[in-house]
Amino acid sequence: MTEPTTVAEPIVVEEAETKRGYAGQSVPRKEDKRLVQGEGVFFDDVKRHNMGYVHFVRSPYAHAKLRSVDVSKALEHPGVLGTLTGDEVALLTDPFFQISSPPGAHLRDFCLAVGKARFVGEPVAAVVATTRETARDASELVEVDYEPLPALTDAREALADDAPLLHDEAGTNLTWEGVYEWGDLDAAFAEADRVVKISELHFDRFNSTPLECNGALVEFNRGTGQWTIITNNQFPGFAAIMMGPAMRVGLDKLRFVTQDIGGGFGNKITSHPQLVACCLLARKLNRPVQWTEWRTDFHLSMSHGNERWFQDTEVAVKEDGTLLGFRTTALDDAGAWLRYEPLGGVIWAQVTPGMYRWRHIRLDFKQVTTNKAPVSPNRGYSRMQHLWFTERVIDIVAQELGLDPVEVRKRNYIRAEDMPYETPNGCVYDSGDYAKMLDLALELVGHGGLEEKRADAESRGKLLGVGIGSTLDSGTNNFGQSRLINPELQFSGNNEVATVKLDIFGEIVVTLGTTPQGQSHETTAAQVVADILGCSVDDVNVRAGHDSYWNSHAGFSGTYASQFAVTGLGAVKGATDMLAVEMKKLASVVLGCTPDDIELAEGFARMRENHEAALPFMALGAIINANNAGLPEDLDVTLNCRYVYRPPFQPPDVERKFGNLTLTYAAQVHVAVVEVDPETGVYEIVDYAAVDDCGKRINPQVVEGQVMGATAQAIGAATHETFTYDEDGNLLTPNFYDYHVPHALDMPPLKTGNIESPSPFTSMGTKGMGEGGGAGIHAVCAALQDALRPRGNPIVYDSSNPYHRVWELLSDPESSRQRVTVESR
Amino acid sequence: MAEIPVVTAETVTVDVNGTTYEREVEARRLLIHFLRDDLDLTGSHVGCDTGNCGACSVIVDGILVKSCMLLAVQVDGAKIETVEALAEEEQLSPLQQAFSDHHALQCGYCTPGMLMSATALLRENPRPNDEEIARAIQGNICRCTGYWNIFKAVKAASGQEVAE
Amino acid sequence: MLLSEVGYARPATLEQALGVLADYPGARALAGGQTLINVMKARAAAPDVLVDLAGIPALKGIELGPDGTLELGPMITYTELIGSAEARARPILGEVCAQIADVQVRNKGTIGGNVCSSDPTNHLPPLLVALGAVFTVTGATGERAVPAEEFFLGVYMTAAGPGELLTKITVPAGRSDGFASVPIGVDGTCIVNAAATVNGGVRVALGCVAATPVVVEAPSTDPAAVRAAVREAALEPPSDVHASADYRRHLAEVVAARAVEQAERGA
Repeated sequence: MTEPTTVAEPIVVEEAETKRGYAGQSVPRKEDKRLVQGEGVFFDDVKRHNMGYVHFVRSPYAHAKLRSVDVSKALEHPGVLGTLTGDEVALLTDPFFQISSPPGAHLRDFCLAVGKARFVGEPVAAVVATTRETARDASELVEVDYEPLPALTDAREALADDAPLLHDEAGTNLTWEGVYEWGDLDAAFAEADRVVKISELHFDRFNSTPLECNGALVEFNRGTGQWTIITNNQFPGFAAIMMGPAMRVGLDKLRFVTQDIGGGFGNKITSHPQLVACCLLARKLNRPVQWTEWRTDFHLSMSHGNERWFQDTEVAVKEDGTLLGFRTTALDDAGAWLRYEPLGGVIWAQVTPGMYRWRHIRLDFKQVTTNKAPVSPNRGYSRMQHLWFTERVIDIVAQELGLDPVEVRKRNYIRAEDMPYETPNGCVYDSGDYAKMLDLALELVGHGGLEEKRADAESRGKLLGVGIGSTLDSGTNNFGQSRLINPELQFSGNNEVATVKLDIFGEIVVTLGTTPQGQSHETTAAQVVADILGCSVDDVNVRAGHDSYWNSHAGFSGTYASQFAVTGLGAVKGATDMLAVEMKKLASVVLGCTPDDIELAEGFARMRENHEAALPFMALGAIINANNAGLPEDLDVTLNCRYVYRPPFQPPDVERKFGNLTLTYAAQVHVAVVEVDPETGVYEIVDYAAVDDCGKRINPQVVEGQVMGATAQAIGAATHETFTYDEDGNLLTPNFYDYHVPHALDMPPLKTGNIESPSPFTSMGTKGMGEGGGAGIHAVCAALQDALRPRGNPIVYDSSNPYHRVWELLSDPESSRQRVTVESR
Repeated sequence: MAEIPVVTAETVTVDVNGTTYEREVEARRLLIHFLRDDLDLTGSHVGCDTGNCGACSVIVDGILVKSCMLLAVQVDGAKIETVEALAEEEQLSPLQQAFSDHHALQCGYCTPGMLMSATALLRENPRPNDEEIARAIQGNICRCTGYWNIFKAVKAASGQEVAE
Repeated sequence: MLLSEVGYARPATLEQALGVLADYPGARALAGGQTLINVMKARAAAPDVLVDLAGIPALKGIELGPDGTLELGPMITYTELIGSAEARARPILGEVCAQIADVQVRNKGTIGGNVCSSDPTNHLPPLLVALGAVFTVTGATGERAVPAEEFFLGVYMTAAGPGELLTKITVPAGRSDGFASVPIGVDGTCIVNAAATVNGGVRVALGCVAATPVVVEAPSTDPAAVRAAVREAALEPPSDVHASADYRRHLAEVVAARAVEQAERGA
């Protein structure tokens, strides 16, 4: 890093109407006091008397038959409490429910490998011992007889006749396919002046490597048959649906407890297999069982982001750069198991046209299994891959047609006046002004002085490039989209729950169904509650984390998919509105007026016309909880309100693959400026602007923090982070030594800006945000392509551009160019 | 014949945050696990297994170290400071307060290590510039913040002006 | 992440340390632990005894002789070397140490540990080979001086054999030195590195391109001549996820020329 990094003051272009209250203020976080003192409670901080520590024995082979698993020697090791093998698991549990229609539906997925291991790092057996070290030692005594099989490590070879077959039950590696087509492709291509063909683009495999890995402490209550799972799983609703049927128990037997979670980013959604193993062990051994996933385990086995090849892309475009449509094949490498997949096969369709107005689109989505770690949601899940693709297309089209990438975007962006905008497949973009965001981002990096900057870089022997990454963060899913994957599924809509109560001494207590991993839910929920009840945020106690016992959750509860500001806060608002009504009703009875005469302000329920006639919250709480004789029989007041937020969705049209799949669309436009050293391929990001729009911001500082974090992760993914495998299926980046994430000195200067386009579809005008759509990846790819133009116009074809790839583009631009042809019509 | 003992376990005595602890510990036990599992000081965290992430950073005899690359037996007789030492009787230190003021933490998992690295920096260099701050926390990985707010927080804690 | 059972010894003198090493063939010296502990976490190596060298005063210390020769104790940490007034007699030493990893690692990691691990991507092996350092290896039978070029025998293998310890690193006087690298991220692991010294000839030592540093002598400091000399060395570098053999070969030329250029500026 050659310059100090600074974050300039965010430029707010448009402010929503100013209201008195906490909404819109950067209220200090309630979470901080405990976290800065090291008093957060993460799962590994919890101890139980007599707990046993789990170590998973993991396959060293990418593909192998398990001829036998012999734990006898491990069991004899002093300190070992017990073991679990695939054979036991196959008897004690049923395979996990598969979201997929056939052939993916036929996969038999258990919590330990049964019969075969299908990726390096797959858990094959578990050993429990009195100390962590003993469990680790004893695991070396487990004798597994592997019969190695050829490994499939390239999705493009998954359908070859001689490709290794991962799942006999499926009969193919192509576990799910969906062909999506909207508009009139033939007409679009007939109308086109040019057809730009791109043979292959690749979105690489990586993930967000939350600093805390997965884990749990599981206890089993024999008397009630209830498990308590103290964990950091970020989507307990999903985990329960997966675990209950597999374990042959009702979902209420699975109590999920989370408090502090050290980052999630989607990578803590599919830990349910390991949680099942822990549950079985806790029951078998009659003691609490503790599992800590170490970094290498996590890299080997957990939550890789979808790796996707875009093949045989054809883009219909007019001479002036108007984009008419495209067709492509999206070949998705799902890894060895479908744990949240194939939902990725439809979730991209939330942003089918990206930010652009083309109407004629065909995408053939083919998902294949390979001998790699199973994929699962990763920050930007499936939309990021698709949006990267659309941005690559824009840049390549602009470059090949000799057009300015800024102008091509502005010509084709969906416009503010088009909003709400229905996309070709029936999704509705709620609001936004992408062109304005682009102008702002360009201004922040001094785009006007670009040519001078280029000349200056050249004088220092460097190639300067500027790139735009525009992207969407669609949030609040309609789970009905799962029916586009499998029409038999009975999921649709979404929900989130909150309770708000006024306790006997007037305490306001809020519970959420969410599982925050840094998104400041306690703070923003308190802001919403305080504004409605007319009290201070300090008076609002929001319980930390999630607990099934609070009964504050529903089927989709959790924290994922950029939705809290809509679903979670929608539930909080709903519950608090109910409570406010009840408080006014009760106060009106006590004070002898009508509820409309009552206002809630300054911690009182008081008569609007006479502030002396006031009841403190404590009085209201005391009356209902402890002093309720003499109240009218029909007084419908409990001061304990539970609200289930339900977004307004319809089940989509499965035939046409049409319908609204997400409620809100936050947008991000980023611009990256890079300098490439043409002698080495090493490059540096020398300037960077991130402009964000997530509608009304309840807590601007919280929003900006996640914008920054998303930017940093995208920069990591663009530059060094990759889960690359060798041809035998060994992961070459199994820990932080080889998988380089950005460190402090790697950070570029960052300028931020924002606009607020409120959503017309949400109760507070908020939109979910947080994932960020991978804008940094798109921007860095574009910047590199721009920088390298003088060196033979290479095409940036991969989302991951470590130095060696840039070098390859520099040394042999022709090879990359062979991916692109332009036909004139 | 060795003149000195070779032990697979021994009793170590350490001063952690002003309290003296005496525990029997295996030679192979990492200091981070000794702190977390044996002494119940769970403020310091584990984020990796190759010494890269710094979530385990503590100060031993005045020197900032990653406690995942030290054995507990190596610190016998040492004075150790962890995040639990920073606040005085529930009053946050200026550094901790600055982290909160500038939203330098989101999930909080890297934060204890960050605070120890920043503490070590400010003891040695009370008015660091931006590059010195970044250099001081180069060994602490954060996935939530992108570091920018952390730079601001440390700068503010040093009493220097920060562009808001 | 979790180590195998291991014995631990805390010698107070060099003799005691050598004694334990002699008694336990599977024993390893524990210097700063910034490499060895991680190796043991991965269970890539499982010594049966760790001999902690931290308590041996004879292994620390930096002395600057009147002729400008530096004698460095192997247990000096990177931080101590960076902060040492004596070590500024050969500034490249502190400059390179300051590029290694991060503060925590530099506070515990030692220069002796860096050379004795003989990891091809380490900074100090090529640097000390270029500078023509001499390593003193001490065992039960006495001391011997090993020139740096002969000290590194292979990946993780040095001339300090079983029962022996590196006890001193002697760096000759000089100032015209350079070091250039391509790391993964700032101060990250090196993909390729080169150290150069221009003291009467042009001497370059390349790291990351073979099991041990490769010495290249160039006829002049002219970048083209340096690069040609590297090409003539017919390197066969490894291929890995960060760089192909071809790319490393190319980068080796570039960093060699840059290291020489830096050395020349100091001359």
